[in-house]
Amino acid sequence: MSNGIGDSQYWLLEERLQRRELLKRLTTLGILGSSFGVLLSACRGGTTPAPTAGQPSASEATPGGGERPFTPTFYQWIINLHPDIEKGVNPDFAKKHPIDSKIAPVQGFGIERFVAEARDKNSTWDVYIGMTPFVEMAQLVEAEVIEPWDPYLPDDVKKDIIPSILEEATYQGKIYNWPFLLDVIVLGWHAGIVEKAGLDPEKPPKTWDELLAAARKVKDSGAAPFGCTFDAHGWRSLAPITHSISTDVYTEDGLFDFTSDAAVQALELMKQMMELANPDVLNPGKSDAGVNDTPDEAAFGAEQVAYYVKYQNAPIRFAGVWRDPSKLRLGALPSGGEGATVFWNTGAALFKWGKNKEIAAEYMKALTYDERIWAHSIGGGREAVGQLSVYQSLWDAWRQNPPKWMQDWAFFIVDQLKVSKAIRTHKFGLTQFVIGQPHWEKYFKGEVRDPRQALQEARDAVLAELKKQGG
Amino acid sequence: MVVLARGRAGATARHWRESFMYRFVTSWPFLLPTIGFFVGWQLYPILRVLWMSFTDYYYLRVGEPVHWVGLANYREALADPLVRQGLLRALAFTAIFLPGMIVIPLVAAILIDRVRNQRLATIYRVILLIPAMIPGPLIFVLWKWMYSYTIGPINYVLVDVLHLFTIYNAPQWLGDPDLTFLAVAVMEWWWGLGYHTIFFLAGLATIPRELFEAARVDGASEWRMFWSVTLPRLRPILLVLVVLRFGTAMAVIDEYLIFGGFNRALPTYTWTVYMWDLAFQLGDWRQSYAAAVGWIGALLMLIVVAFLFWLFRPRD
Repeated sequence: MSNGIGDSQYWLLEERLQRRELLKRLTTLGILGSSFGVLLSACRGGTTPAPTAGQPSASEATPGGGERPFTPTFYQWIINLHPDIEKGVNPDFAKKHPIDSKIAPVQGFGIERFVAEARDKNSTWDVYIGMTPFVEMAQLVEAEVIEPWDPYLPDDVKKDIIPSILEEATYQGKIYNWPFLLDVIVLGWHAGIVEKAGLDPEKPPKTWDELLAAARKVKDSGAAPFGCTFDAHGWRSLAPITHSISTDVYTEDGLFDFTSDAAVQALELMKQMMELANPDVLNPGKSDAGVNDTPDEAAFGAEQVAYYVKYQNAPIRFAGVWRDPSKLRLGALPSGGEGATVFWNTGAALFKWGKNKEIAAEYMKALTYDERIWAHSIGGGREAVGQLSVYQSLWDAWRQNPPKWMQDWAFFIVDQLKVSKAIRTHKFGLTQFVIGQPHWEKYFKGEVRDPRQALQEARDAVLAELKKQGG
Repeated sequence: MVVLARGRAGATARHWRESFMYRFVTSWPFLLPTIGFFVGWQLYPILRVLWMSFTDYYYLRVGEPVHWVGLANYREALADPLVRQGLLRALAFTAIFLPGMIVIPLVAAILIDRVRNQRLATIYRVILLIPAMIPGPLIFVLWKWMYSYTIGPINYVLVDVLHLFTIYNAPQWLGDPDLTFLAVAVMEWWWGLGYHTIFFLAGLATIPRELFEAARVDGASEWRMFWSVTLPRLRPILLVLVVLRFGTAMAVIDEYLIFGGFNRALPTYTWTVYMWDLAFQLGDWRQSYAAAVGWIGALLMLIVVAFLFWLFRPRD
């Protein structure tokens, strides 16, 4: 049988592996084996074994010190929107302590890598800057990925945090979130479009009825194709509009009460807003699993809509692409009774198995008080992102002696914190809105006529999922 | 004596070379890296997920014991409307995607195969292959922009250039449940066209030209030659592509996550996205249940693949 190999070659291949060849192959195997050994040890954290259960981490053994430079990791957008972190804060801090800043592997709020490392009682990083309490804090605490800041947070800093934000940062009686960037759901509007519609651009709608009337006038007058828009994700629209009516909308276990009267009213308002909004308002966004780059941003950026309900950095960023960004105005969310809104901060979590914990606290203080961050965020012109400081002392000082870069809207927004509340921290803090959304959207689409029924379905779906998760 | 001793030594050496141990020592050590890779990279994860599917394992519950729950997860998954709906959605996408992913490259390959100018044929091949060189996430973001309602070029042409729609009723390519799968399929066809065309070109190159010449002599039309010569000869390539693309179409996840996120109302929330949601998003990350959902999906796919193998069996 011919197989294309000559007899002599076949004999060589099949039978006569020479001793020299055997040795050569074994040597190769040995090299491969040792390579795998190196690879394995690298995967396990190099030559330093990870601490075992109950064994203190390096930083616990030597407080304030570590075997590596201080290693913070940032959610990518924070570095993108606040360039002074890398240009100014980090180089300055590096004069005191070596720092190795990283980008966190958390696209779409994914925390898998953090959890996986914590299960091995290990952490590549010391602090994660990008945690929003209601989104992932409960899961990170329960999976023992992060630990409280309490032993490291200086008293003067703790007292300086605006009380409602400190409450947001606290879970089970401990502070797990060092607050940093404040976002508040507000009303933004295009003064040019509003004026073209024959309305006073300096006089914002104070109630939802006023907003709907103004938005209708914008659309009917042809000043813009759409009167108003909002982000369809529940924590950015349903919850804030509900808070504007009442903040007493949480169940005993910390979930949003979809069936509360305030939530029902909010849903009815949203349906009326939808009729005046860009038709794709319910569509998912382009990035972060549909959460960001949402259709409302595109419409507002394209100057197709007058009024916009979202956290302040969205209208500020998208007004930056307008022909005349100075036409942007910002104000409090229209009131439905209580006059509150939703806010959240994006702050820092301290990794339980990280190192350099005292340096981490020192860094967070330096970062969060650095005025360059706020000058760029508030007064950065087309590059401004509008995220605000969480410290009362800074606001008091700026109010007494406003810096050149300060904008009036910043004070209006911060003042809303006196009555506003964050969404309660819960394992389903964010996902309850993701699960509920298709159900309340049935009311928008006319598949369910009663808003209360749609919201009851949303609540039932959340509870079913909670039950499925053993909760 | 010396000759006899040499003879014995030679016989012993030959015996050693023919022994099991000799073959073992000279073969198996060299297979170890591959075996290690296969076991560690493929077999272990499969068995681990299988084991998980019979337990009450939650990833975020640190230090809690894991219990054997038998078929409870499977029973629950089979009764779960999200699993059924997710599988049906994946099947619907596959039904739209698969025919186009086979027919369009097949036609393109036949047309390119007929180009007699070699330089021109190469240019066609390169152009077709360009999309295949672009990384997936970039493709998805690019097409998501193309499909954007307000600023996408497709709607710009439909609304502002052709005036077929207005800004109030333009198609919502990724928001309208009736259009979403078609929109995703068009993107996938564009992306995979070059890659699949090359498969068919390789298959066409193996068909002897004499068969076509003989058929022409017998008066066969082009259409008849396609059905009686080309298609039967391409059956192995078709099998490979249909099986591969069926698997990828049923198990699409990246595109769905980027196009639809975790919105359960959208068609893009299929069983794969639900599985990811269960395993890495919801509550305590009930990966045991997610594993059961995964196995149900995988078993259904295996049944269909077996049917495809039967359908494309050699019939010569």
